[in-house]
Amino acid sequence: MHELNVIYIFSIVFSLTFVLFVLQMVRKRKLREQYSIMWILLAVVIVVVSLKSEWLDALADAVGIYYPPSLLFLIALLFCLAYLLHLTIVLSKLSDRVVKLTQELAIYQQQERDAGEQQPPQTEEERR
Amino acid sequence: MPMNSKPKVLVIIPAFNEEGSIANVIRRIQAVTRHIEIDLDTLVVNDGSHDNTVEAARQAGATAVIDLPFNLGIGGAMQTGYLYAYKNHYDIALQIDADGQHNPTDIPTVLEPLLCGEVNFSIGSRYVEKTAYHASPMRRVGMIVFSKLIHLVTKQQVKDPTSGFRAADKRVIEMFAEQYPVDYPEVEVLVHMSRRGLTFREVPVEMSARAAGNSSITPIKSAYYMVKVGLAVLISATR
Repeated sequence: MHELNVIYIFSIVFSLTFVLFVLQMVRKRKLREQYSIMWILLAVVIVVVSLKSEWLDALADAVGIYYPPSLLFLIALLFCLAYLLHLTIVLSKLSDRVVKLTQELAIYQQQERDAGEQQPPQTEEERR
Repeated sequence: MPMNSKPKVLVIIPAFNEEGSIANVIRRIQAVTRHIEIDLDTLVVNDGSHDNTVEAARQAGATAVIDLPFNLGIGGAMQTGYLYAYKNHYDIALQIDADGQHNPTDIPTVLEPLLCGEVNFSIGSRYVEKTAYHASPMRRVGMIVFSKLIHLVTKQQVKDPTSGFRAADKRVIEMFAEQYPVDYPEVEVLVHMSRRGLTFREVPVEMSARAAGNSSITPIKSAYYMVKVGLAVLISATR
């Protein structure tokens, strides 16, 4: 049971690389801390499951799944689905804000333009 | 409540690549103003056109031209007009297509129910009375389906729920300024209004084929249109 499979070693290496990449993105300010936490947690879970594969086996046994890795796939898939849903919600909110900002900006520019058109004749009169 | 003093009316004309027809539409609206008691301000909302729609509209003498920096889609562009109407305290906002399919001489007809204070919203319809308009079969099916759906949800009869020739009073302007669907808004807003206790009525108008440019509706978009609007209407009904 304690003998590490190649696939588990691979998962650990992959997870660590993934965490480093995520941290690097945060350092470069390409990814916000709030989103990085989720990804780091995910990597930690993968490492834990890889090191303590008996935990996964026990859990799979408890819920009646005979092939433990498929439990892993299930959890990963559900996680991805939930996170994608979360992202589309964030995206919807962002789109609404972009539309609102664009409208406000365009109306503001129109008013500026109007004010600019009315301004020159007034200043000429003032000079006289 | 009927409007005693002269109401402030804004005509919103959303335009996407309509340099060929926009000037004519504006001039025909201005011509209508000369025959009725009410002044009609014209607002062109350029929805990120690639052509000279903005210049054409300015030269034709539009009261105001709002130039969106990129394409927001019809809902976003139309809402910009309602937001402008709200900020500038217009009593009525009337929307009309830039492609020339709506006849500006029908504007008084569309305004009438609002001027009497009968309803909050008025829809220029092709089918209240027999007119010369012939819709494509696809559009016909869509209109019948949406008509039934609207009736199911609002218990109101609307024969032409996709018509974009419509007018809104102050309460509706305020509501639209705050919330308006991004795409294919015509059908959905009827449900929104009904849920808020705002009333609407159809009036008969003439409609013609487009004067210039191309319609934005393709077969794939039509399918998306039906699904999206159907879903939006049903969800609105549960809010």
